[in-house]
Parts: sequence; C-alpha cells; structure tokens
Amino acid sequence: MRVTQSMLTNNSMRNLSSSYARMGQLQEQLATGKKITKPSDDPVVAMKGMFYRSNLTSIEQYKRNLSELYLWMDNSEAGIDQANQGLQRVRELTLQGMNGTLSEEDKKAVAVEIEQIKKDLVGVAETKVAGRYIFHGTDIGNSPIKDGTPADGSAPQVADNLTSAVIGSYNVEVSQGVSLKANVNPGNVFSQELFDTVHNIQKALESGDTDALDTELGNLDDVMKTLSAERSELGARYNRLEMIDDRLGQQEVVANRILSDNEDADIERVITYLKTQESVHRAALGVGARIIQPTLMDFLR
Amino acid sequence: MRSTFHGLETAKRGMYTQQGALYTTGHNISNANTPGYSRQRVNFEQTTPYPAPSMNRPDIPGQMGTGVEAGSIQRVRDSFLDVQYRGENNKLGYWESKMEAMKKMEEVMNEPSESGLSKTMDMFWQSLQDLAVNPTNAGARSVVRERGIAVANTFNYLSTSLTGVRGDLKNELSVTEKQINSLTSQIDKINKQIADVEPHGYLPNDLYDERDRLIDELSSHVSIQTSYQSSGGAASPIAEGQVTVNLVGKDGNFAVNLVGKSGANELKLSMEGPQDTVDTVTIGSQTLDVNDFLSQGEGKLRALIDTYGYSDKNGAAQGSYITMLNELDNMAYEFAKAFNEQHQEGVSPAEMEDPSVETPKFFQDAADASADLDNVDKAGFAQRMQIADELSNLDMIATASADNPTLGDSANVSALADIITSVELSYGEKPATFRAHFESVIGAMAVESQESLRLTQNSGVLRSAVEERRMSVSGVSLDEEMTNMIKFQHAYNASARMITLQDEMLDKIINGMGTVGR
Repeated sequence: MRVTQSMLTNNSMRNLSSSYARMGQLQEQLATGKKITKPSDDPVVAMKGMFYRSNLTSIEQYKRNLSELYLWMDNSEAGIDQANQGLQRVRELTLQGMNGTLSEEDKKAVAVEIEQIKKDLVGVAETKVAGRYIFHGTDIGNSPIKDGTPADGSAPQVADNLTSAVIGSYNVEVSQGVSLKANVNPGNVFSQELFDTVHNIQKALESGDTDALDTELGNLDDVMKTLSAERSELGARYNRLEMIDDRLGQQEVVANRILSDNEDADIERVITYLKTQESVHRAALGVGARIIQPTLMDFLR
Repeated sequence: MRSTFHGLETAKRGMYTQQGALYTTGHNISNANTPGYSRQRVNFEQTTPYPAPSMNRPDIPGQMGTGVEAGSIQRVRDSFLDVQYRGENNKLGYWESKMEAMKKMEEVMNEPSESGLSKTMDMFWQSLQDLAVNPTNAGARSVVRERGIAVANTFNYLSTSLTGVRGDLKNELSVTEKQINSLTSQIDKINKQIADVEPHGYLPNDLYDERDRLIDELSSHVSIQTSYQSSGGAASPIAEGQVTVNLVGKDGNFAVNLVGKSGANELKLSMEGPQDTVDTVTIGSQTLDVNDFLSQGEGKLRALIDTYGYSDKNGAAQGSYITMLNELDNMAYEFAKAFNEQHQEGVSPAEMEDPSVETPKFFQDAADASADLDNVDKAGFAQRMQIADELSNLDMIATASADNPTLGDSANVSALADIITSVELSYGEKPATFRAHFESVIGAMAVESQESLRLTQNSGVLRSAVEERRMSVSGVSLDEEMTNMIKFQHAYNASARMITLQDEMLDKIINGMGTVGR
C-alpha cells in the first residue's frame, strides 16, 4: 500500500484526539468521583443508581419517623408511670381508711389527699406533647377530659369518643407498608372507670362508708390491672421500635454501600488507567513528531 | 529519406513533455494539502514512429522512434472507494446528529443526580412522610405544599426545556435543508462547467475533484447514488462526464433526482404534521411522504427528522423528542390524577371544623384551574401542571381519612405518599409505579443515546479506514513528487543535451563538410 505524509499526519492527529478523549473521560471520573456522568455512559448503572438513591432516601426518612415514635412512647410511659404512682397511693390510703382506726376527721383529711391525686390524674390525662394530646388517640386536637371538675361535684367526665376504636391508633410508618402504633389505647388508661373509682373512694371516705370502700378497692385493682397491662404492651412495642431502629441503621449502611459500589469510581484503578494513558499519549506525541519531520528534501544536497 | 533535423524535433518533444511533467509535479506539490485534491499524472505516450507504412515509404530499416508527447493529464482516483466512502459518511452523518440530539436530551433530563425529577419526587415523598408523622404541624404542611410546587415546576421545566431543544432541532433542520440545496446547486454549476470543457477533449481534473468533494459533503446529509453521462463532442475516452445524483430508497423503492443534466432540484420539508412534525418532503416537483423518505439510507437530515419528529403512517407524531415529551405529559397527568383522587378522598382540617368545606384537588391544570383532571387535555399537561389555588390555605391539605376525621389521623397522607412509591398507575400498557416507570423511561433514553454514541464511533472508524485507502491512492506524497521532480529534471537536462549534440552534428555538416580542396 502506498503511504503518504498526509495519511501519517491524519492518523497521528486522530490517535492524539482519541487519546485526549480517553484522558478527558478519566479526568471526569476523577473530578466527580463517579463512574458515570450521564445515563448513556452506562444505562444499567444509571437505572440502578436512581433506584438505590430512592431506596436510601426512604430509609433515611423512616429513620427520621422513628424519633416521633420515641417522643410519643417516652411521654406515654412517663404519663402511665405517674398515673400508676397516684393509684398506688390511693390504694394505700383506701386500705388505711378501711381499717377503722381512723377518726372521721382523719378520713376527711385522707379524702382531701385523694382529691388532689384525682386532680393530678386529670392533669396527666391532659398531657400535651408539641401541642398534641397524647392520651386521646388520633383526636389530638381535643382533650380526653370533657369536664375535669363538674359543677355538680360528680366524677371527672372523659370525652365521649375515648373508647372508640376508630381513633385508637396513632400510626407512624416505619418501613414500606409497616406502621407502628405510637400511642397507648386511650380507653385503657385514663378511662371513665378510673375517675369514677377514685371519685367514689373519695366520696366514701368523706361519708365514712367502709363497705363501699371495700367494693371500690376491688374496682381500683381492676383499673390498675388494665393500666399495667397497657404499660407492658407499650414496653413490648418500645422493644420492637428499638429493633426497627437497629435494622434501619444497618439498612442505611448497606444502602449507602450499594449506591457507592454501583456508581462511585474506583480511584486507584482510574489513576492507574490515567498513568497508562499518559504514557501512551506521550508515545503518540513522540512518534507523531518523528514521522512528520523528515522528507526527501532533508537529504537532497 | 529521413530528415536532417529529425533528432532536433525528438529532443524538443522530450523537453516539452518533461517540462509539462515538471509543471504537473509542481501542481501536485502546491496542492499537497488541498482538501479533496487527487494527485495528477502526465500520461507519457510515444509519438508515431517513422516511417509510417505507405506506398511511398522510404526504404530504410525498421521504424524509428520520434519521441514523446503528453497524451493526457489524468487524476489518480478510485471511484469505487468514493462509493464506499459516501456510504460510510452517510451513516456517520446520521449517528453523529442523533448522538448530539440525544446528548442534549440527557443533559435536560439530568438523571441520576441530586436535582432531577426523581430526586424532587423523593423529596416530595419525604415531606409527605414528615406530615404523616406529625399531621398538625403547620411547618410540615407548608413543606408538603412547597415540595408539591417543586414537583410541578420540575415537570414544567423538563417539558419546556425539551420543547426548546426541539425548537433548536427545527432550526438545524432548516439549515440542513439550505445546505443540501446549496450543495446540489454548486454541483450543478460544476457539472455545467465540465460540460463546457470536456467536448474539447480536455480532462478538467480540478473540477472533478471539486465536484467529488461536494458530493462527499452531500452524502453526509442524505443517502445518494451517482451515475455519469458523457458530455459528447470530442470528449476524451477517460473523461468522466456529467454526474446525476439521485436520492434513493434503501431497497430501491424510489429514486428521486437531486442533480441531473437538467439542473438541480430543490429539496423542501413541510412541517404540517401534528405537533409541527415533518409530514412530506418535496424534491423538485416530486412530493414524498416522510415515511417513504425515512426509508432512504441514513444521513444527517434523517437523523434530525427522527429526533425532531415526523408523522407516521397513521398520522400520529413520532420521534425521540416527541416520545419523551409525551411521556412527561403522561407521567405528570397520571400522577396528578391519582394524587388528586386520593387527596379528595381524605378530610382536611378545614373540613373537620366546617363540614361544608370540600377537599380541593391537589394539582390543577394552569389552563383551566377549576376543571377536573379527567376533563383536561393530556397533551402538554407537563407544561401546565401546577398546585391547586385552594392549597394557599394550608388547612386544605387533607391529612385524615374519611373514616377517622381527627387531626391526628394521617392515613390519607400515607396513602398519598404511597402513590409515589408503591401504587401502580396506568402509564403504559402495563401498570407500574411512578419510580419504576420513570426508571424505565430514563433507561430507554440512555440505551438509545448509548447506541448512537457507539455507532458514531463505529462508523467513524469505518469512514476513516476508507478515507485512508482513498488517501493511499490519491494523496500527494512529497517524497514521490520529489523523486519524480529529479527524474523529470534529469530527462529534461538530457533532452537539452541532445539538442547541443544535434547542434554539433549540424555544425559539422554545414561548416565542416566538403572542404576538401578549399
């Protein structure tokens, strides 16, 4: 084949520019730290990248949702604890009132203490977290207590919908399609029975009706049993929450790693390629300079 | 009887012819870097020997040579390589333009990134989750509204930008149309000049080169076939004649004349199809349906029509950009519709306070804010999508489900968030979630773009291989010219020396002969 100067020049120009193109690609990988900068570089990596990103975003979001669950559960736990202490004290005072050694005045004084505890229970039932009532299910805008101190001196009245199953669960999503209940069942904690029992004990002590105290003591034990059952359910749910927290933490690490494996450039490899490409480029330049230079002219006279 | 001056004439012919060859060498060297130039060669021919056979031929032994003449000056070129080159150049023109258009589309779509549509959607989903966790928080409500606006704006932006790029493609189409017409009219002019020169027996090598260069350039725009007709007169047998350039279908189903003996035919595109797509291509007096036109080989013009859009056999708009724009409309519309339906099923805080308040739409059509999305035009919706006016009141965002209209219920917001991630919508033949569908749209675009990039490289390599072979035949080698120059120079000098010799011989005859006895 006949080979001419311009063929050599064209070839060496083409080789140089494709060498520059390869170096440009490597430079882009190094500068961005990514294997690809546009989907056509590798459609599969691009599509996977979109999926992994969404996946990571949702895990991060679910983790964020957990803090709300912690907030609700911690506060519910504290409220139940306080209610429990109050009821324990009522029980002690009732037993004191029942053993017949107390004078009428003493019983009245005990009744006054029970009244204070009753008011405290109403206060706890109306606990608000970030402006929301936590013991009223999803009806967070309204207090679970309809009337704390009725004018006729009867027991505090709870809201009408307190035992409704519809408002029972304040759910928070913790992963795709899985939600966790953040609150305690409103009807099982600060129920009408609770307030009625405490109120009746107070009234019985005021009137010195020991028989009535006996019945109410039974009722009080029932109320406390329901309360403690609700508390252990909350504890169990809290455990589950911590497990989910752990799992999401692991998932986040995995999701980050997969995202990085998928699209991050392997820097050592890119630098090695760059060095190789650099020496190829130098060689191309050297050869180009050598073959373009001499012509027959240089050797004639 | 041979002439006394026979040798003078032979030497003179030698000088003239070698001189001509030297001039041609000079021409070659001068044009060593001219694009499209093919090296020229003087075809040396022996002149008629003496004596010619005839009745009164001199009775001398043998025929004696009478010297040399330049038979013709011919360019060295292989027309078969030209055909190959044009075929590859045609493919390269197609894939290169397609690659450019697809690259722009990828740049606009900007996926995967921290600012594309999928990221905006993810952020919208996050804001819905935040609201679901804390449905009474006014901050979370306003974030949902703002992110909803961001989703609508992203759809608007993508659709507007793609429409803008499509407008650029339209300009490029009309520029290409002008270029084609300019090339064909230039080819026609050169054809006419050649027709003037050839009947005189000359070979207009430089006009041939220029014409071939123009045909090469034309081949990158449209697929062509060339044939040649003699110019008549006393044309040399190696004269190329006048070219006829035809636009041909791939399987020879049509051949439309672009340049012929009668002149150049103007090519004209008509963009009267739906969405301003190309519907017919007129060449001279012949009008082709665009679908027939697209069955011609490849070339830049076809790539531009493919990407810009054309109306198919059923009159529907087709093309890469049209497809992507329709896809955006489809995605925006189906998403907004499903989102609205779910939103309107829920109960907003405003409705809890006053049951006569109705839950509004979430997204609306900018062209008709009050219309239900079922009744608006899907075409162009991505550009008109916006958040409903009613949502300026944040309490209009329906968080609760109808079963449990309390402030703390967030079942409806969770259901809204699910529309982004897990609810399958009817985007195409097969229902798919928004994310999955968008991924497949981006994937399809990426594969198309990658294919065009790869084939650009392939056809580039093929073209340069043919180009190389062509250069090998027609390119000027300076060393070769230099060698020729020395060869011709020596022959010229030697011919001149022959004249000196003749002079000495004649001197002998005229001044030195017959002096006996003087």
